[in-house]
Amino acid sequence: MITFSFNKSSIPTHWVGFTTQWYEEMIFSVDIISALKTSLIVAGSSVVLSVFMGLCAILYGVRTFVERLLVLFYATLATPDIVIAVGLVSFFAFVSIPLGIVTLIAGHTLLGLGYVMPILQTRFAELDKRYTEASMDLGATYTQTCWHIVLPLMMPAIIAASLIVFVISLDDFLISFFVAGPHAQTLPLYIFATIRAGATPTINALSTVLLGASSLIVLIFALLQVRKKIEVV
Amino acid sequence: MKKPTLGAVVREESSLFVALPALVWQLLLFYLPIGFVIGMSISYVPYYTNIFNLLHFKIIGRSLMLALITSILCLACAYPVAYYLALQIKRYKNIWLFFLMLPFWTSFLVLAYAWFFVLDNYGLINMLLMKLHIIKQPLYLLNTPFAVYMVMLYCYVPFMILPIYTVLEKLDKRLLEASRDLGATKWQTWTNVTLPLSYPGIRTGFLLVFVPSFGELAIPVLMGGGRNFYVGNLISYYYLVAQDSMAGAIFTCLSGVVLLVATLFVNWWFARQRV
Repeated sequence: MITFSFNKSSIPTHWVGFTTQWYEEMIFSVDIISALKTSLIVAGSSVVLSVFMGLCAILYGVRTFVERLLVLFYATLATPDIVIAVGLVSFFAFVSIPLGIVTLIAGHTLLGLGYVMPILQTRFAELDKRYTEASMDLGATYTQTCWHIVLPLMMPAIIAASLIVFVISLDDFLISFFVAGPHAQTLPLYIFATIRAGATPTINALSTVLLGASSLIVLIFALLQVRKKIEVV
Repeated sequence: MKKPTLGAVVREESSLFVALPALVWQLLLFYLPIGFVIGMSISYVPYYTNIFNLLHFKIIGRSLMLALITSILCLACAYPVAYYLALQIKRYKNIWLFFLMLPFWTSFLVLAYAWFFVLDNYGLINMLLMKLHIIKQPLYLLNTPFAVYMVMLYCYVPFMILPIYTVLEKLDKRLLEASRDLGATKWQTWTNVTLPLSYPGIRTGFLLVFVPSFGELAIPVLMGGGRNFYVGNLISYYYLVAQDSMAGAIFTCLSGVVLLVATLFVNWWFARQRV
């Protein structure tokens, strides 16, 4: 059962004949490139937006009532994606925002916030507050303190959160399905459409590459954890 | 005392403005839309009483079944894995974790697609069985409920493994030692000590699998051949094909309520198991 459960990281290529033809076709395929571009843009923007806003909310919210409201962010993780997607679609329709890259980014940022908040908040709470107190005592403003002291201390959490949001956004299907509209297409949407229409070996190549890329990201993530442990020790 | 300058006041109050965007975002894109959907549904229910028909309930029931069976299967598969990982394997724990979590990080479309090759008429399973002469003709595995459950299981098992593993890892091993010292067998130790202590992890994992699988859209469509309708399917149909937002909204709320009730029930059931 154990081997079964994780040995399915099998590479989906046909053993008909070993050829790199499909990889070439994949690289030159316009659809894939544009879907990839869209995915990357959306993922990148979502990461930047959600991490930045999250940091602002946590770092500066401490001094206002916002702090107590931070629990509101946990609902995103608890709600099924379908409900979120439906809400987003209805909202965008109501406010007459055309579905596209912008709405994709908005939706993914929402998702990202849901992951960013707990991670950053936990890390922030763990910080030794005496550092910030000392810094403020020595005359730095709150902003300076944040920039020079808190941020470096929170870097591992920031990086972890960024990686998570990036991957979540890249892999996201359900919300993108509803929110992308007729013009924008992300990689998962493209894969879904192609599989339904009839798969080509190009998809095989794409899948393999995606698998490799995900492995890489997980590896980086794992290495970061190890480094963190070594630092702490 | 100096009168505060405008700049000073802005700087003083800026914390609020800086911190606000995230909150505004969440409120605007999450709470508002969902509230909007709920409100819309409630106000339109009188016009759409046909929403509460048998077909819809059958679909909701099917999704509930899917979610429930997936969760239970995941539990059955994940618990032994998490158990071995947390309590038995001493070395290379991180390597095992890496491989186990890999499906979690990969887009599940890629995962579902990989299963196409396993379940295909000339894919891995069939080739294996035919080589071993267990069957003469390929088993028809794709586009069946079996395929749907199998892929759901595979995609959601990491969600179940992680919480259980976390809980088991933090377990105070001395409790287990004490139990063994007092004469309990391995089975008794497990039933009376490890299992009850791992309930929080089981509950988290169960919910992490149950809630998303209820609304799942991609896997049932891809692996099940699109013949059956599930909740996710139907909602997407209402919104994208039939362009019938009202019906979609009401059905979403209905499903949401059912899901909420189910989740509360699960929570209550687990609370009863309190140590």
